[in-house]
Amino acid sequence: MGSRGIMGMLRGAATAALPVNHHPSCPFSLTTTSFGYGLLLQKKNIGRTYSARSALEPPDLSRLAQTARISLTPQEVEEFAPKIQQVVDWFGQLQAVDLQSIEPAIRADNEGDNLRDDLPHIFENREAMTAAVPSYEDPYIKVPKVLNKE
Amino acid sequence: MDYGLTGDSSPLISIYRRIPDVAMPPGRGFSFRDLYSYLSSEPEYGVSKNVEDKTVKLEDDLLTDPHSFPPTEMLSSVQNPRILLLQCRRHHHRHRLPLPPKPYLQTTISSSLHTSPPPASQIGTLRKSLLSREKTAVELAETYLTRIRLTEPQLKSFLHLSDNVLRDAGEIDRKIERNEEVGPLAGVFVGVKDNICTADMPSTAGSRILEGYRPPFDATAVRKLRESGAIVVGKTNLDEFGMGSTTEGSAYQVTANPWDLSRVPGGSSGGSAAAVSARQCVVSLGSDTGGSVRQPASFCGVVGLKPTYGRVSRFGLVAYASSLDVIGCFGSSVADTGTLLYAISGHDKLDATSSKREVPNFASAFITQDFSESKPLKGLRVGVIRETIDSGVDPEVISSIHGAASHLEELGCIVTEVSLPSFSLGLPAYYILASSESSSNLSRYDGIRYGNQAVSDELASLYGDSRAQGFGSEVKMRILMGTYALSAGYYDAYYKRAQQVRTLVQKSFKAALDENDILISPAAPSVAYKIGEKKNDPLAMYAGDIMTVNVNLAGLPALVLPCGFVEGGSAGLPVGFQMIGAAFDEEKLLKVGHIFEQTLQGCSFVPPLVADGFAC
Repeated sequence: MGSRGIMGMLRGAATAALPVNHHPSCPFSLTTTSFGYGLLLQKKNIGRTYSARSALEPPDLSRLAQTARISLTPQEVEEFAPKIQQVVDWFGQLQAVDLQSIEPAIRADNEGDNLRDDLPHIFENREAMTAAVPSYEDPYIKVPKVLNKE
Repeated sequence: MDYGLTGDSSPLISIYRRIPDVAMPPGRGFSFRDLYSYLSSEPEYGVSKNVEDKTVKLEDDLLTDPHSFPPTEMLSSVQNPRILLLQCRRHHHRHRLPLPPKPYLQTTISSSLHTSPPPASQIGTLRKSLLSREKTAVELAETYLTRIRLTEPQLKSFLHLSDNVLRDAGEIDRKIERNEEVGPLAGVFVGVKDNICTADMPSTAGSRILEGYRPPFDATAVRKLRESGAIVVGKTNLDEFGMGSTTEGSAYQVTANPWDLSRVPGGSSGGSAAAVSARQCVVSLGSDTGGSVRQPASFCGVVGLKPTYGRVSRFGLVAYASSLDVIGCFGSSVADTGTLLYAISGHDKLDATSSKREVPNFASAFITQDFSESKPLKGLRVGVIRETIDSGVDPEVISSIHGAASHLEELGCIVTEVSLPSFSLGLPAYYILASSESSSNLSRYDGIRYGNQAVSDELASLYGDSRAQGFGSEVKMRILMGTYALSAGYYDAYYKRAQQVRTLVQKSFKAALDENDILISPAAPSVAYKIGEKKNDPLAMYAGDIMTVNVNLAGLPALVLPCGFVEGGSAGLPVGFQMIGAAFDEEKLLKVGHIFEQTLQGCSFVPPLVADGFAC
């Protein structure tokens, strides 16, 4: 980790002078240098950041799988990791774009809110809903123990 | 009209229109003998192949003796007999034919030979024959069911076929007999993509995690279809949860392209597109999150419509990316697609994002007129998106688009190039947004309340195993990418930036649509590719969506209709072009599309698989 930190420092120093937003043609190199610089920031706890570059660690697949509640086999981790890394690097090209003072859009805002009145309605077809439950014992949906020993 | 080929007006002919008269086993291609019998009434014409090195020999044979057609075995070297150059004998050259200056003209036909009729509305034809008692709905149902039985083993476009087709058809017949009102889509056979809920049929979204799942309700779009009298023939195949561009991502089967069974139909609504293309049903419903209706429409040579976000209720559509999903329509003609759209559009209180805006009656755009003399689209401003005809797009696709643009000019449009500078950013922004939203939307599949449940004593592994066993690899990858992009510390870098890019894309479309009535582009950078070609390279597959995702980010409507052919398969592969309109302006798109389609000469987009002479 120490040698990576030094590498990061070197790369970080080299790129510090580069104006980030003017390299749209090489997003990948920007991303890799920003990883190095990011590590440097984390190690030294420097408060200031450049808005266009962010401290991003590459995806930790096992942790992500746990968060997403998907049990991945070790082969799957090996198979997915490079593909996901490739796509995430490709996502990184958005870092190079100057997006200051642009409002994020939640969706194509074609209309205002079309909310209905906050009144309860009964859904009639309860039998079909309960019929779809894999583990049902009227009136309970059965699940394994939620609280386990520590 | 002089196409500048040989000085005299040498007519170019697409012989494809003869194919419906000839029974052809699928995949075998077109026989020269058939062409000869057609052409034998015009003895002064020789036939030769369009410019291709491997067919020069064929040309030379013909040029020396035009009446001795090559034996059929030589046809194996003729990749695409359907694009033929019909040429006056005295003008033939002994060398390679000069390239026509505008190669897209291979789809245009000379006025000296009769033109192939433009596609008629199948819905209109069907309705007329039902109401005039010429045919019964049951008879029509049997025709379609037979065609499905014959073509399904090769196509595999359906995941589930309805048991009630004949019963529903009988109902329609009884109503007609009693002179009762029948809905506007009475007796129309519809395929429904399997991520749209139907209460009486399983709805799996192409995934094992929902295998056998029967929803307790019909989606609003399906309910409206049924109220209009339509008969749902079955549920069509798709990439799992809508994630994919080839239909290879389905957990159940891979659908084939009716134009070439070794190629993909596109995705994710590949089954719906293939079913309409192969005439297994009249129209079908699909869903479009990043091009999933438009790209398969282009690959399968059918019309595909993506409505404005909010035009059609999403209630009952399995959510993939809630800010981008819409339900879209497929048809074999623009008129049918528009009629279907009208039937399913409208406000729904069960979908808070559905628009309260009035739905114009799109049928008024489809009056049959004689368009031959006037310039029916005079003054319409059309913008060709420059970034979509750049490098990275197949040159033949680009020339088809130029052909479409020329055709629009002939109809009176003013065609210019427009630039949308934020165009290329739309693709990574789309995938960030789609992956992130899907990671949230798919968290409901926990194996507890519906779907398949893995065996486990412990809750966390019950979730983990049910999801691991139920989801395919593409779905898992997208959920993981989305989880990453939304994690604390990364949200600003990815998701928020993608939202900002969305604003940019919306603004640039709005600016372009202030200057133009519609924008056009290809629907995909290539024609249908081979099954398995892009399976292992996610970025290569994502790159194919570049033409379509920006429209979803902006929430605008878009119509894809076939405009030409490219070499490949036994009869060529269709190319579609995309027309993008302003929000809620489907009416204009349908009107322009209808006129374009009705005046496009020489192309008949019926795939060789449909061997029973299906006339539409």
